[in-house]
Amino acid sequence: MPEPLLIVRNLKTYFYTEDGVVKAVDGVDFEVYEGETRGIVGESGCGKSVTSLWIMRLLDEKGRIVDGEIIFKGRNLLELSEDEMRRIRGNEIAMIFQEPMVALNPVYTIGDQIIEAITLHQNVDEHKARKMAIDLLRKVGIPEPEKRIDEYPHQLSGGMRQRAMIAMALSCRPSLLIADEPTTALDVTIQAQILELMKELQKEYGMAIILITHDMGVIAETADRVVVMYAGKVVEYADVKTLFNDPKHPYTYGLLTSIPRLDIEQEKLKSIPGVVPDPLNFPSGCRFHPRCEFFEKGKCDVSEPELVEVAEGHKVRCYFWERVDEVKKLEAEKV
Amino acid sequence: MKERWKIVTKKVLLRVENLVKHFPIRAGVFKRIVGWVKAVDGVSFDVYEGETLGLVGESGCGKTTVGMTILRLYEPTSGRIIVEDEDTTYYFMSKFKASSYIKKTYINRFKKLLKDYGSVDSLLKDLEGVDEKYARIFFEDAKGSGSKFIKYLLSDIQEKRKNFRRNMQIVFQDPYSSLNPRMRVKSIVGEGIKAHKLADGKRAEEMVKEILEDVGIIPDHMYRFPHEFSGGQRQRIGIARALALSPKLMIADEAVAALDVSIRSQIINLMEELQSEYKLTYIFISHDLAVVKHISDRIAVMYLGKIVELADKKTLFEKPLHPYTKALMSAIPIPDPNKRRKRIILKGDVPSPINPPSGCRFHTRCPIAEKICSEEEPELKEVEPGHFVACHFPGRL
Repeated sequence: MPEPLLIVRNLKTYFYTEDGVVKAVDGVDFEVYEGETRGIVGESGCGKSVTSLWIMRLLDEKGRIVDGEIIFKGRNLLELSEDEMRRIRGNEIAMIFQEPMVALNPVYTIGDQIIEAITLHQNVDEHKARKMAIDLLRKVGIPEPEKRIDEYPHQLSGGMRQRAMIAMALSCRPSLLIADEPTTALDVTIQAQILELMKELQKEYGMAIILITHDMGVIAETADRVVVMYAGKVVEYADVKTLFNDPKHPYTYGLLTSIPRLDIEQEKLKSIPGVVPDPLNFPSGCRFHPRCEFFEKGKCDVSEPELVEVAEGHKVRCYFWERVDEVKKLEAEKV
Repeated sequence: MKERWKIVTKKVLLRVENLVKHFPIRAGVFKRIVGWVKAVDGVSFDVYEGETLGLVGESGCGKTTVGMTILRLYEPTSGRIIVEDEDTTYYFMSKFKASSYIKKTYINRFKKLLKDYGSVDSLLKDLEGVDEKYARIFFEDAKGSGSKFIKYLLSDIQEKRKNFRRNMQIVFQDPYSSLNPRMRVKSIVGEGIKAHKLADGKRAEEMVKEILEDVGIIPDHMYRFPHEFSGGQRQRIGIARALALSPKLMIADEAVAALDVSIRSQIINLMEELQSEYKLTYIFISHDLAVVKHISDRIAVMYLGKIVELADKKTLFEKPLHPYTKALMSAIPIPDPNKRRKRIILKGDVPSPINPPSGCRFHTRCPIAEKICSEEEPELKEVEPGHFVACHFPGRL
């Protein structure tokens, strides 16, 4: 296998707040290869956004890296100076956010904002940059880009704003695009448009994408390989087909069976009992144990399982992943 | 696994007729009305006792407005809202407005009908439901006197309002903003019980405890405040509040949209269990077709203030006829990488409800639109028993 574009190794980042230490990310490992889509999936508070913000180094003083490294093209991003980081940010690694209305500056036209990104990183004059911006807007499917370029974010619809943000992110042909819930705020028919657009652009530009989402459907349709996170930890790690056909972690399995589906009939939905844990006060041992149907006293609540490789390229953080297999077998027999 | 039992009678619990809700757009110093947002523009449907009707559509299609207008959290611009065999449309109007509504909807019509038919008996034969009932009152009890009829309908209006509120409840989307942060759970859930004088003192407390237990909240937690609960638990409290008055109809407006995936299925299952236990009828409003498919018996698909297709769940998913329904279904990502479908990608955005397209409102984005679609608005027609669709070329896509 070729050298990965990005390696996140044992990343631990804590927030020191007045109420205590929030262990938002507590041991995350994954890598991203050139041109692939790496999905990160998890529920609110699992640390998926914090991980991505650290790759961009966009967090403030309160968040501190306790351990780990983020290696991008052979350089540890966490050791770079702010100046060096600025040259990478927006240029080699770009990011799009969930809510484009918040991520775009409301007092500048979208043209201004794209042109700023281009002139900052590329050696072109404003006139040329404007031309490039118009081409980009056309490429992301904004009608009449010559006119739209002088509009303000509030004059565009949600879908168009997301397209404008993608145009801005692509302006410097980044080799890595981080998309943090890029379609969550959009309607499904618009979501389909944006996901399709991202796929086309990925093919054309050959960039890698880190797609962060809570939507298993979006993951299944766009990601090549997936990291499942729960309470600041990676609990499962596999390519997309393996993950959906053969989930090994009780959490992944529970998540997949609890989604209402359009394509199959379900009598009653399975559900994971309990609540998503409070990040100030994560459970001892395996953080999923209070909600787990395979929980064993004296083991799961005492020590934390390691992320073990159960098949090639398939890692699971669970003592009893074999039991999930047994349950799956029983379920299959029932059908 | 407990089998989910359900009785769906053919008794119509709620009938919505031609419901219209336009919001004024005001501008300038004098707040002159410069336009109208046509949020809901002629929507009709029935809800049968014991069923779950799903109302699905994208943002801005008017699904929430329909729910709010049924509950009269918005006053409808026109249309009728009939609950069981009572017209409730005028319940929350001022006395003057209510009189003119009754005059327009019933008295003038009955008088005209009498002229056409000649006799009261033949007229009554052709009317049904509320119309027949009210015609009987008008001709027999009020002896054809308009003022007596109005007086009859407006009698006990306070009582009627109270009954209506008791029977119709709502669960909101955001479990954070829909619960008063300064009230304890006990008061939130018990407020309705007190206001409707269903019980007081110890007995009221007992009732709150029972309901909390039913929705899966530890009864001892009733002295806590909303912020002490997680999102899923708060939504349970919201459901408990709606349940406290044992309503007949519960409107769930995006009740699971704000919840995490693993919590969402808990709440969906809870709502299904409560439905059989409390014999509830649901209107389940959501943008998520997969959730609506799971919980509903019949589904109405809305687009820009209109219902474009309405059918029972099985028919709608096996044989969708409206191009929008098809596009909506194909747009939803399926959590299974082994399945790849042909996807219909719609062009453009949803047009503005201030100035909806002429003819069929979907024609600007429709892949099969023809000339007639931009000229003539298709009616919601029953193409098969129970399957309604508003399209000039149903099933062509």
